[in-house]
Amino acid sequence: MTDAPPRLEIRNLTKRFGSFTANDGISLTVRAGELHCLLGENGAGKSTLSSCLFGLLQPEEGVVLVDGRALSLWSPADAIAAGIGMVHQHFVLVPAFTVLENIMVGTGRGLLADRKAARARVAGICRSYGLALDPDRPVSQLSVGEKQWVEIVKSLYLGARLLILDEPSAVLTPQESERLFVILRQLAASGIAVILISHKMREVMQSDRVTVLRRGRKIATVDTAGVTSDELSEMMVGRRVRPVTAAAAAPVAPAAEPLLSVGGLRLALARGRATAAIDLELGRGEILGIAGIAGNGQDELLETIAGLVPAEAGEIRLEGRPLSGLSAQAVAAMGVGYVPGDRFRDGLVPDFSIAENLILGAQWQKALRRGPLIDAAAVQARGEAAIAGFAIAASGPVMRCARLSGGNAQKVILAREFAKARRLLLCNQPTRGVDVGATEFIHAELLRKRGEGCAILLVSEEIDDLLALSDRIAVMFGGGIAGLFRRDEADVARIGRLMAGQGAGQAA
Amino acid sequence: MSRGAFSGWRLEPLADVPLRRRALAAASALTLAALLCGLLFLAAGANPFLAFAALVKGAFGSWRTATETLVKATPLIFTGLAAAVAFRARLWNIGAEGQVFAGAMFAYWVQHGLAGQPMALQLPVVVLGAMAGGALYAALAGVLRTAFRIDEVISTVMLNYIIVYMLSMLLLKGPWSEAGGFFEQTAKVDPGSILPALFPGSRLHLGFLLALAAAFLVQVLITRTPLGYEIRAMGSNLRALQVQGTSTVRIVLVVMALSGLLAGLAGATEVYGVHYRLKSGAVAGYGYAGIVVAILGGLRPWGVVCAAILFGALVNGATYMQIATGVPSALIYAIEAIILLFYLAGWAASGFRLRRAAHVR
Repeated sequence: MTDAPPRLEIRNLTKRFGSFTANDGISLTVRAGELHCLLGENGAGKSTLSSCLFGLLQPEEGVVLVDGRALSLWSPADAIAAGIGMVHQHFVLVPAFTVLENIMVGTGRGLLADRKAARARVAGICRSYGLALDPDRPVSQLSVGEKQWVEIVKSLYLGARLLILDEPSAVLTPQESERLFVILRQLAASGIAVILISHKMREVMQSDRVTVLRRGRKIATVDTAGVTSDELSEMMVGRRVRPVTAAAAAPVAPAAEPLLSVGGLRLALARGRATAAIDLELGRGEILGIAGIAGNGQDELLETIAGLVPAEAGEIRLEGRPLSGLSAQAVAAMGVGYVPGDRFRDGLVPDFSIAENLILGAQWQKALRRGPLIDAAAVQARGEAAIAGFAIAASGPVMRCARLSGGNAQKVILAREFAKARRLLLCNQPTRGVDVGATEFIHAELLRKRGEGCAILLVSEEIDDLLALSDRIAVMFGGGIAGLFRRDEADVARIGRLMAGQGAGQAA
Repeated sequence: MSRGAFSGWRLEPLADVPLRRRALAAASALTLAALLCGLLFLAAGANPFLAFAALVKGAFGSWRTATETLVKATPLIFTGLAAAVAFRARLWNIGAEGQVFAGAMFAYWVQHGLAGQPMALQLPVVVLGAMAGGALYAALAGVLRTAFRIDEVISTVMLNYIIVYMLSMLLLKGPWSEAGGFFEQTAKVDPGSILPALFPGSRLHLGFLLALAAAFLVQVLITRTPLGYEIRAMGSNLRALQVQGTSTVRIVLVVMALSGLLAGLAGATEVYGVHYRLKSGAVAGYGYAGIVVAILGGLRPWGVVCAAILFGALVNGATYMQIATGVPSALIYAIEAIILLFYLAGWAASGFRLRRAAHVR
């Protein structure tokens, strides 16, 4: 160790929201040139801590020092002035502006002022990290990975000596995230301290040191080289984690005819036209995983099957009966459950209780009625059963859903949709933003449902999850199926290339 | 960097506002509103304490004045319920005003040919006619929204104008104008169609009981029926309801019709319970006041009843206050607005707390 102060030092930082303590006396040092990972489940306090560092939140107690100098961080402007940069999970870029304009915007020097000097500096930054960014291309034409580069270059342009990245790989293909880590290594080598927020073990293991947070407290800071990923998981969750896989589950005997068959389906995409028609078959008791980068038609595929949006062309049949043209209610009545990707927007009524949300869509059902009124006792009983069956952490069936955490909110939706899904379950990213414990539970439930003979279409951006759960994996790109693999033949590198739109071909 | 004196204070939204806090906000809002009204009385040259005393005496001082307060509250209960039902579903029906007119006009249209018929026939015709008129007129705005995506705020406000002038046209040398009369009004309605008084010597009529029954039914509807469930779901997250395959077109049409039906009843109670003639002055203003009543009542049926009685009391008491203390009764409209503004401010403020941000050193 040298005598120089650490790049970042946090002493006893505490942040409370009402009676809830999001960060409880956290102390931490990050050295210059270090790749430091903040690891923790959702709600462990990672985002709160980084928001405090970037001046978005003000802690109740604690001191933040950069290069030995204590800071008052009232706003992001203060943080930037102190040399702290942040790359948010959702990029903050103006699509219509060029790369250069996006970098210069907000530097306080106007858009016209000395473009030449700015261009030279941006070119210099790109060169030193080997980034092929054309400064004059509009950001709207860039890939997701390139947009992330712009965010990084922007931070460096603003003079960042400490760079915080919030779950940077969530939106990237495996190849893009590998590339990102090469860049992060170079940044560290040039003396910049990098803080990486992640819960993906594969990435965490590439850092120099890891700080594990749990329930707002720091558990430990360890040298990555000295621990295994299993040990880190245990520190993060507070107990041993056993991954759930389909391999361990009993195989289901395939039926003669497919349960779901999709033929020549052309999706109406939100942006652009679907590049190809989709043909798929799905059998009873089978999980078909859909891999792909967000926005390649996965949402539209599930919504189309669920009867929420019409297809441009093609046919969907469930046990031979056509679904196309049916209303969402009629599709659901045929035994199709749908777990939407955006659970708070599409899946729940926030002002309703857990019990009320469990009957959403079934409010007219005879079984839930007593004469013209809703049978409150029956609804209450359903709520209690779901809370018990799905281990929902709630004060009771009357608890408002707006107060539930992401994982528990998802369990409410799963309880409702599992009950509806007698034949087919459409599941869009069921474990996104859900903590490890709940993920484990949800995966086990999916496999249980599969064991009951339900066919499951599972969309996920986590390839590891798909590999663990799916019988087959389809890769979606540009609204079409770019490739289809049996689990035992699936290869992460190949899937990654197909996700990025390179090389099409049917493998299985 | 320089910062203002209040830079250390931040307003933080509360995730969940306890009922206690809401009640405290409402109580302090009413207190502050009363204080400001006192100043207004003072400015009008009256002793505020005497003015308030006169106001209360005029509203509840005797059996007769108390029942008169309820007479004034009756149409406001109906229009308050109309707004509450729609607002709970986040349907901004601003058209209760026009729907009151439509209710009164439709009731008159179907009833006036039945003069001389028994009460047992005429009364149901009046009540059902008013319900149908209000419902149809509001449903028109619902159709405009569901079929042509025309915002219901715009369409209902415009429909208010249309019906007001349509009544004017029918009354001014039109088929409904009183033979030989100078005023824009119909002749007196047939005695067999008048809503009977509840007590001898009082103007309180059957319409008040209908209003209480309506409040009870709306309460049951909203809290316990599938339709009420859909209304509440739509008010909180329309999209989640659609994803479950529930047709929002049906809900919009039904809720608009229901809201109009309730407003239409106010038209019947005023024409057949109080004025015994159809004229603009008998029915104007209740629709807009109903919006205020609904908000003050927290969009809850029994809250609406309480707010309507409060407003009925203000209107009723103001007349006596003018006689007793010389405070102009028109000041009552300022008081209504002050109560609403303080109430809304208190409601908004109760959702936040002020906190001193710790300085990071």
